[in-house]
Amino acid sequence: MKTNASIWVLLLVAYGAIPLTLGSNHYVMSLLVAALVIGGIALAWALLGNLGGMVSFGHSAFFGVGAYVSALLTLKAGTPIVIAMLLGGVGALLASLVMLPVLRLRGPYFALAILAYAHIFKIIATEWTAVTGGSAGLSSIPRFPTAFGFDFSGKVGSYLIILSVVLIFALCYRLIRASDYGIALRAMHDSEDATRVIGVNSVLLKALMLFVSAFMTGVIGAFNAHYINFLEPDYAFNGLWVTLPIVAAIFGGYRTILGPLIGAVTVYLIDQLVFKSLIPYGHQLILGALLVAMILFSPSGLVPLLRASVRRNHAAG
Amino acid sequence: MLEVDNIRAGYGAINVLWDVSLSAAAGQMTTIIGPNGAGKTTLLRSIMGLLPLTQGDIRLHGRSIRGTAPWDMSGLGVAMIPEGRMIFKDMTIEENLLMGAFPKQHRAAARQKCEQAYAMFPCLQERWNLLAGMLSGGESQMLAMARGLMSDPELLIIDEPSLGLAPVVVNELFGVLGRLKAEGRTIILVEQNTQKAVGVADQVHLMQSGKIALSQPAAEVSLEHLHDLYFAH
Repeated sequence: MKTNASIWVLLLVAYGAIPLTLGSNHYVMSLLVAALVIGGIALAWALLGNLGGMVSFGHSAFFGVGAYVSALLTLKAGTPIVIAMLLGGVGALLASLVMLPVLRLRGPYFALAILAYAHIFKIIATEWTAVTGGSAGLSSIPRFPTAFGFDFSGKVGSYLIILSVVLIFALCYRLIRASDYGIALRAMHDSEDATRVIGVNSVLLKALMLFVSAFMTGVIGAFNAHYINFLEPDYAFNGLWVTLPIVAAIFGGYRTILGPLIGAVTVYLIDQLVFKSLIPYGHQLILGALLVAMILFSPSGLVPLLRASVRRNHAAG
Repeated sequence: MLEVDNIRAGYGAINVLWDVSLSAAAGQMTTIIGPNGAGKTTLLRSIMGLLPLTQGDIRLHGRSIRGTAPWDMSGLGVAMIPEGRMIFKDMTIEENLLMGAFPKQHRAAARQKCEQAYAMFPCLQERWNLLAGMLSGGESQMLAMARGLMSDPELLIIDEPSLGLAPVVVNELFGVLGRLKAEGRTIILVEQNTQKAVGVADQVHLMQSGKIALSQPAAEVSLEHLHDLYFAH
């Protein structure tokens, strides 16, 4: 009951209060959109980490592939943006197919292999000039259209789109986690061999989680391409598209569903609004210190920390 | 029921099992004993399909199961209770049990099997909602056994259940093994506790350095001779 109520309040603030009060402030809205983009990747990354037990440094590849696929489809084939975004997700999913061989690897080996794979896609985007425009990039990627009499290409419209996409993904994550497969995936953390011998096809389940995570990241990448209307390989495949989400997810609590989202919004907004004004250059340093502090004092992240304090207050009151 | 025919298996370049053959007859308890590093666990892992064979064949009811994925073994009526328990510590006891009936064909009967497991292991029923990580070593082993029984296997493969347990608990454990045998289940048991293991067994195999050093019906086994071989290296 309690958590349900607070989720409704959050939704009301996110869909109502924020666009109404801050909608005219372009700077804050663009920060929020950027935070939600990072939050979306963080959510997809945490899904793979939490359910699949895999630490990925390769999500920038899914992000970039999703962005390029959607941008090219709208630019060259005239595909409607909504379909192109979904196909961007499918493109990222197909990109993850070539990563299947590394699923056999564990821990740091998986992380390194997927990092190498991610680089391959950046090279393709740079060198395949005829299609991708090479390092010059793609410009005038179509903006979001006007629908239901509302212009979605503006800051508020884009904010509403990414917010909805991210929340739908969070819901999917929740459904997967609560399913039989989610329980089997949870069991896999403790011992993959034990889950195998009781009849869980762990390789298939891990592959499915990789697909879901790649698809989500691809859609987010596609959103971002239509939002900024410009792509180049160094931007689309930038390592920051995976490192920032990792920081956000760990900060917020990567074992929870809302943790990565809340982590992304908190970390990104604090970084841009507070630290950046205090130290114009190198403000990420404080971010690093903050992350270290979080890992030391609440290794499971911000959301579990908040939940625990709410519970304590209840017990006290 | 199960025939292991001249198999070799190992980890990468290191071969562990050298031409191992043995068979487990239906309804009997086949016990494999041997010192650390003899390849007992490797043999069980090979049977379950967790390790690929590089030579030989494994047959269940006369049909080859070479190359069968571990997750398909429960569909063939084979369950493994792994070494070191490998229970799911972050899940409750009941969730652990239900995981044992994960494959679709077992899910319908999961509730009923759960009740049977509680009847066999009352200590689990009292704490059904407790996280499995809170259990003692003996209770964890009982949970691992109960989880393995959830798919109602014909053939039960048990790896070193008495490892690290107090003598009282070991007695209790062998009591359970005796009951399982009396139920008519076929069991392959790997044990270090030779005296107890030979006591419940029908057939005894001694493994050393990746080979079967001795195979005898339990009734004919002389513990003294066995210990001589055991410590011969």
